[in-house]
Amino acid sequence: MIPFIASESASPVDVQLLTLGTTIVVFVIFLLLAMKFVWPQILKGLDEREAKLRDDLDSAEEARAQAKAALTEYEDELKKARTEAGEMIAQARLDAKAAAEELRSSNTRELAEMKTAATADINAAKKAAIGELHREASTLAVAIASRILDREISADDQQALLSESLAELGQTK
Amino acid sequence: MFPLLASNNPIHHILDKPISGTEHLTLLGKPMFTMHMASLLIAAVVTFLILRTAARRIAVGHESEGTDRYLTKGRLPQLVEVISLYLRDTVIKPVLGTDTTKFLPYLLSLFFFILTCNILGMIPFADIQTVVGKATIGSEIQGWAVFGGTATSNLAVTGGLAIVSFFVIQMHAFKSLGIGGWAHHLTGGAPLYLLPIMLPIEFMGMFIKPAALAIRLFANMVAGHTMLAVLTMFGMMAFEGTQNWLLTGSVEVVSTIAAVCISFLELFVAFLQAFIFMFLTTVFIGQMSHHGEHEEHAETATS
Repeated sequence: MIPFIASESASPVDVQLLTLGTTIVVFVIFLLLAMKFVWPQILKGLDEREAKLRDDLDSAEEARAQAKAALTEYEDELKKARTEAGEMIAQARLDAKAAAEELRSSNTRELAEMKTAATADINAAKKAAIGELHREASTLAVAIASRILDREISADDQQALLSESLAELGQTK
Repeated sequence: MFPLLASNNPIHHILDKPISGTEHLTLLGKPMFTMHMASLLIAAVVTFLILRTAARRIAVGHESEGTDRYLTKGRLPQLVEVISLYLRDTVIKPVLGTDTTKFLPYLLSLFFFILTCNILGMIPFADIQTVVGKATIGSEIQGWAVFGGTATSNLAVTGGLAIVSFFVIQMHAFKSLGIGGWAHHLTGGAPLYLLPIMLPIEFMGMFIKPAALAIRLFANMVAGHTMLAVLTMFGMMAFEGTQNWLLTGSVEVVSTIAAVCISFLELFVAFLQAFIFMFLTTVFIGQMSHHGEHEEHAETATS
């Protein structure tokens, strides 16, 4: 039987000075040890984490602002490039159209010139051929006349001579 | 006899007992070595070891670890970190302002020490030792145990903690306000003709505030553990009254469920009371600071 449990006077509000003193001593020793070996490390760690988080958040915010500025700049550049490209395409179309037009007119002109030249050549050749025909006809007429002058020509001879001459003329041609 | 309780009186379950084998060692008629003293010592050692481990894990590591050096590894250290951060940033700093750094180690030590005492008190070490003692060494002593019980359900323990807080508060008051400021604080900013009333009230208030801390913590712990003890005794009481196993079983089931629920509540109360003790100590320190003095006077002027 434990006397202090069995005691009628035992009450939760009984304050034992020895327990009170022990509490103070134990807690103060615990406090001193904690102040020396625990809290400096914990509080320093918490502060360093906080500083690191703050720095990282600031850096992230700065990087975000920079990225946003870069994006705006990029979008402006893109917009500008698109406008320039549109203008260049329009200009190229105009240039191509003008070049095609010029080529077409040039070709037409050249064709006309070639046609004129060909016509002139044909006419010249025709003229030359006609001249040649005249010369051949004259020569033949002279030859016929010479034969006529050398003998009396009967009607049959005349006819034969004419046919012969015409045959020669045909071979000459 | 219900085997898991050292005594059949719920109050005896809460009372401090001499460590088994040292009953004959007394001082001024009181036991020299009690189980609450042993529990207190164990709580201090456990708290220190947990906090020391947490401190090592919370401290920022070497640069070679990269960004991992900023991580706190382990759940218990993370819990300590979260609690410390919460108490510092949302409870202590708004009250103490620039004095936060100075009092943070004391206030956090106080909180974790009380919390450990409260939580260790929820583990029935003494009852386990009684059962194990009977089974192993065949101890005939009723309530054989070396340590156990809730140290914070002892008024001497909570009183001791309150005395330490009292000295911390008063030392800060003298340092922060000076003797004149401290004396002026006793007047509460009241007109001269009210001094005969104000001085005794404020002077008594100086002691009543920490005494209230002690009684609040003690009363909450006693109430919770008494309720738990009563709930766990219902089965035994039903059997002694009826000798009916069916009825005893039914009562036991209901009382066990109730005891589990109350244990969850007690776990919450363990945190809450540690917080309240620490928080009110913070408030009392804050009232004795320069800004606290101004605020108090401003409040008086406006009212």
